[in-house]
Amino acid sequence: MSENDFEQLVDRQYTPLFRFALSLSRSEAEAADLTQQTFFLWASKGHQLRDSSKAKSWLFTTLYREFLGRRRHEVRFPKIELDDAREDEMSILPNVNALDSGAVLQALREVEEAFRAPLTLFYLEQFSYQEIADVLEVPIGTVMSRLSRGKALLRQRLLSKEDAPGNKVVSFQSKKKGESHG
Amino acid sequence: MDNREAKFILSVYRPDGQDASDRRFAEALNQVRRDPMLERWFGASVAFDAAIAEKLRVIEAPPDLHENILAGVKVSRVSRWKNQLAKWAIAAALILSAALGSLIWHNTRPAPLAGWQTQALDVISSLVRNESSFDAQSNQPDELVTWLRANDAPAAQKLPDNLDKLSSLGCKTFSWNGIPVSVICFARPDGGLIHLVMRTSPAASDRIREAEVKLIQRGEWATATWCEGEMIYMLALEGSRDQLRSYLL
Repeated sequence: MSENDFEQLVDRQYTPLFRFALSLSRSEAEAADLTQQTFFLWASKGHQLRDSSKAKSWLFTTLYREFLGRRRHEVRFPKIELDDAREDEMSILPNVNALDSGAVLQALREVEEAFRAPLTLFYLEQFSYQEIADVLEVPIGTVMSRLSRGKALLRQRLLSKEDAPGNKVVSFQSKKKGESHG
Repeated sequence: MDNREAKFILSVYRPDGQDASDRRFAEALNQVRRDPMLERWFGASVAFDAAIAEKLRVIEAPPDLHENILAGVKVSRVSRWKNQLAKWAIAAALILSAALGSLIWHNTRPAPLAGWQTQALDVISSLVRNESSFDAQSNQPDELVTWLRANDAPAAQKLPDNLDKLSSLGCKTFSWNGIPVSVICFARPDGGLIHLVMRTSPAASDRIREAEVKLIQRGEWATATWCEGEMIYMLALEGSRDQLRSYLL
């Protein structure tokens, strides 16, 4: 791959890769490091990939593997029980528009990693269920199942954020009728 | 198809409609059209998903990330090119030496570094250039060895005596062809760094071959490799083999 082609690949993919990394990791610095490391691996090994159309999947798969490799050596977070999430619970939907991006990202990070990775890939909107299955190296049925449960968990987390003060986007109050303009 | 099955399938339906023509969704979408309750659920679900996607879309990468990636890869490419050049230069020097019948120090073998050693030097270079971070940090080498053992990573049974006296900076682990490798970085008294790379030996035959200390100079890197028990060690520093020998005594 020429230098120009590589730059174009970075241009196209570094932001979505960073967003994916940010949802997985604990800090912006770690996410940036994961993103950089993924491109370094591409620069050293990516030429082995014969089908250049699979570059995007290769990058996301590599980043995810790199993340898992690092996490393997760390203390795991306590797992969230699946029973916590009721798939059919759609009666109370959080008002996502009332939350800022930081609160949504935080809620996503609080979802257990097994559900968080497919959720983020899904919400990045660049990936079909087939591509998510390829990136995470799991069957399509597992992707559907994890997305279904992951969304339920995310809704729960968002509802708890909605109740918390300071996370809402507050719009400026419009001036009252009859108020003079000085 | 019942509503539960339809919901299961539609959970992967992207909110921007990219999947509208995918035949796998056709039956579930038909079900949505037939059932007002399901239609209401689907509408709310798509709106929820679209709102989340929109929130994630506004997250920007750090402003310097793009440049750092390109600059970092350029440095790596130059480094690899230099390594290639160094390899050719070493090979040419060795051929010339052989032709002239020169004597090479008995512990030096004119062999290239193995793949895991090359990757270890890349990992170390990346740490030195602050392009990657340590997995664990401590100025006490014993603490790092304990951390490595606790994380099932290769770790020295006993650190070489001369390293044991140095302060450590941190350790990192990586995998080479599925084989775990660990690195501990130490601060030398002269201000430089020295790195101990550890991995398990894959086979008894390799252990026999690796019995002696092999000193190899590769570009700016001097390396010493030896085997002890079931472990293979490589000591590396940016400098000369003479500097490295002082840590092997």
